[in-house]
Amino acid sequence: MEIKVLFFGVLAEVTDTMFRHYRNVESFSDLMLRIRDDYPTIAHYTYRVAVNNEIVNEEPQLRDQDEVALMPPFTGG
Amino acid sequence: MTGKILVEGPVTMEIISVVLSAEDRKNETGAYSMFLGRVRADNKGGRVVKAIEYSAYESMVNHEADDIKQAILLQFDDVVSLEILHSTGVVKAGEISLLVLVTGRRRHQAQRACAMIVEMIKERFPVWKKEIYEDNSREWQQPYLA
Repeated sequence: MEIKVLFFGVLAEVTDTMFRHYRNVESFSDLMLRIRDDYPTIAHYTYRVAVNNEIVNEEPQLRDQDEVALMPPFTGG
Repeated sequence: MTGKILVEGPVTMEIISVVLSAEDRKNETGAYSMFLGRVRADNKGGRVVKAIEYSAYESMVNHEADDIKQAILLQFDDVVSLEILHSTGVVKAGEISLLVLVTGRRRHQAQRACAMIVEMIKERFPVWKKEIYEDNSREWQQPYLA
């Protein structure tokens, strides 16, 4: 499946990208491994993950064309 | 809540006036409660904040705003409507970056709902602040724990 990954806040800066597409993703853990391989520096940062605008706390079942967002702690308001 | 949540740049007095004017037609209501969040010129170890650059995950902001609206209308039966506007992009110190307006039949629920919405926004809106200092250096703001 193909997954769009979004990076926000400081993560957009350290990855030098706002988003990228990952193809042939087998699972959520496969996707996260590939992201960490591509951007090892994100391991130094705290972040939460959302799938299609919903924060996930456990490993979600991804579907083709899902949108996965990596989000540092919120500081809005 | 009627339109977009995110506003490019500051929430200006003109925008606030338009939001209030739209609510003005609801004659069955007797209370507005409004919160305006403003960018502070904080002094961070000798560096003074001159502006904040906001970035946001817009589709999730809209999703969370819908959720907040539903929760508030369910909890407060005197509340008739609510509006939220949040800045993206650069907002200078002294300018407004957040508006919450609650319209209700009476004041008590409108005031409580307004305070609750502000807390929900801080907890749930995927928005990030980057402080810009007078010396033009920049730094991501860390979340406040309290």
